[in-house]
Amino acid sequence: MEKRLVKKDELLRIVKKVGAEFNVFAPVRVEDNVLFKSLAPGEEPLLTFANTKNAPKGVFFPRTEVMIRYVRTPKGTVLKGVELEARDAVLFGVRPCDARSFVLLDLLFDQDKYKDPYYVAKREKATVVTLACTPVPYTACFCTSVGGGPVDGTGSDVLVTDIGDAYLVEFLTPKGERLVKYFGEAKATAEAENKKETAAKEAIEQIKSVIPAREVKPILDVSFDHPFWDTIHKRCLACGTCTYLCPTCHCFDISDEMKYDDGRRLRNWDSCMFPLFTKETSGHNPRPTQKERWRQRVMHKFKYYVDNFNAVACVGCGRCVMYCPVNIDIRKIVEDISKLQQ
Amino acid sequence: MQNPYVPYPVEVIKIVTEVDTKDIKTFRLAFVNKEDEERFKYLPGQFAELSLFGKGESPIGIASSPTNPGYIEFTVQKAGVVTTALHEMEEGTMMGVRGPLGNSWPIEYLEGKNIVVVGGGFAFTTLRAMIQYMLNDGNRKRFGKITTIYGARTPGLLIYKDELEAWSKRDDMELHVTVDKGDETWKGREGFVPTICKEVAPSAEDAVTVICGPPIMIRFTLPVFFDLGFSKENIYTSLEMRMKCGIGKCGRCNVGSKYVCKDGPVFSLAELDRLTPEY
Repeated sequence: MEKRLVKKDELLRIVKKVGAEFNVFAPVRVEDNVLFKSLAPGEEPLLTFANTKNAPKGVFFPRTEVMIRYVRTPKGTVLKGVELEARDAVLFGVRPCDARSFVLLDLLFDQDKYKDPYYVAKREKATVVTLACTPVPYTACFCTSVGGGPVDGTGSDVLVTDIGDAYLVEFLTPKGERLVKYFGEAKATAEAENKKETAAKEAIEQIKSVIPAREVKPILDVSFDHPFWDTIHKRCLACGTCTYLCPTCHCFDISDEMKYDDGRRLRNWDSCMFPLFTKETSGHNPRPTQKERWRQRVMHKFKYYVDNFNAVACVGCGRCVMYCPVNIDIRKIVEDISKLQQ
Repeated sequence: MQNPYVPYPVEVIKIVTEVDTKDIKTFRLAFVNKEDEERFKYLPGQFAELSLFGKGESPIGIASSPTNPGYIEFTVQKAGVVTTALHEMEEGTMMGVRGPLGNSWPIEYLEGKNIVVVGGGFAFTTLRAMIQYMLNDGNRKRFGKITTIYGARTPGLLIYKDELEAWSKRDDMELHVTVDKGDETWKGREGFVPTICKEVAPSAEDAVTVICGPPIMIRFTLPVFFDLGFSKENIYTSLEMRMKCGIGKCGRCNVGSKYVCKDGPVFSLAELDRLTPEY
């Protein structure tokens, strides 16, 4: 594995050089938010930030995207073209939790049968450069409970770790190694690697939020009808913030819109928190109240995804915890489930 | 990479109004491209997304059998945006079809067994596909005795009337058509499907039931079959849920960890027992 040492003041210049050749996505300050977005010409990425408010999954699975274009003709409305564009892209400054979300989303979108071509095309063209969390950004962070870690390279092609006086840059995959040339000639020293190990250990110790994320699975297996589900949803506003900010939520809607004779079929993020999500034309709704919708959200992340892919569909980024307007805390829910009496 | 979201272009070549209320029609569709028809290899029980550009998509069970090549059929009730637009279409119109999707009736498991087909109302569509499939000259001997019990509220609400007439004349299947309430011209049976099932009392020996209908019919019919000795492993039904992608990605049609679109829509009662009752 190639490793390089990069001086602190060099990194920004490197990102700019990469940006001359690739479409770079990175954390950028936009008004009061830090957003993960495409770098506009001249726009500078943030090198010190906690995490972006939006999850970088949007690069591969945008909030809204055109799937198909069509046109109205005298014989009916017919296909005009399929929108499957993907450019070489570099995602710079992804946090390890969010990088891990890509691996979890791959399990769903990149299955043997039925690959999702829109997701896969963008994902294959992208190189993920992750900035390790030294120090850990939030008290709500709980990545270590769901299989990740603040200096974990899962889902990353390049891992950049701040080791105090410099960055240690590790090129983890062949895709990542294509970027070595931008990072100078200074090879990583044993001292630098030791510093990284120490920083990683310290970061893990900084994470105080620990939840039994894997352990609740056997309890959820037998708790579908447990009265516990009556206790968590009542203050939920069904705003969908938790699902829209979640790096692993993947539900979407497909809708059509026409203007004059031209039309397009779009996919938009959808949310299991919304009443209409499962409502059928007949009026029947298999998840009629917020109770069933909350049960679905928790079950999907901590049971169904484990059943189907042997992975918990949560990366412990803490976004849903921090931004829920009524302070519903998934960590507490999981903790409470682990103590349920059967 | 194949794009599962792009529908095959098809032409509406025949429209049949099935019921006297005129809100259920059967659409016969022909593929514009021969190679698309070859790619669209399906079995009875599968469904497809009927795709109307500018309106949207609707998941509908395939009502025809692959033993009748050259076209596919869908029987659709006028209900929402897409199905209303479909009902306004005329023969010769172009539209799209995405599929085939989902599993099918368990054909391999059904082979060599006696088959009891129970249908109610317009949920008879993929059952009709299954019957057509079994009655096909080349297929008939692969299955044992075929008993069909089909009911609707009134004679005018029975679908596939000509076919029911033709089936009633065959000696290689038993057909019982019933209506909740007949009219002055109705000469057939009267009574609810569960009652007729009890009267007909098909033997459970080497037999499998495939059943589709309104929830209320299923609720009262299942106990009849349990009494007749059918096990949960030998009763199959097909579920409906709101769907979008049809390929297990958009996340809305799951029952427990199974997606109705991808892992279903056909499940045995034994399989449903292992899932959550959320449908």
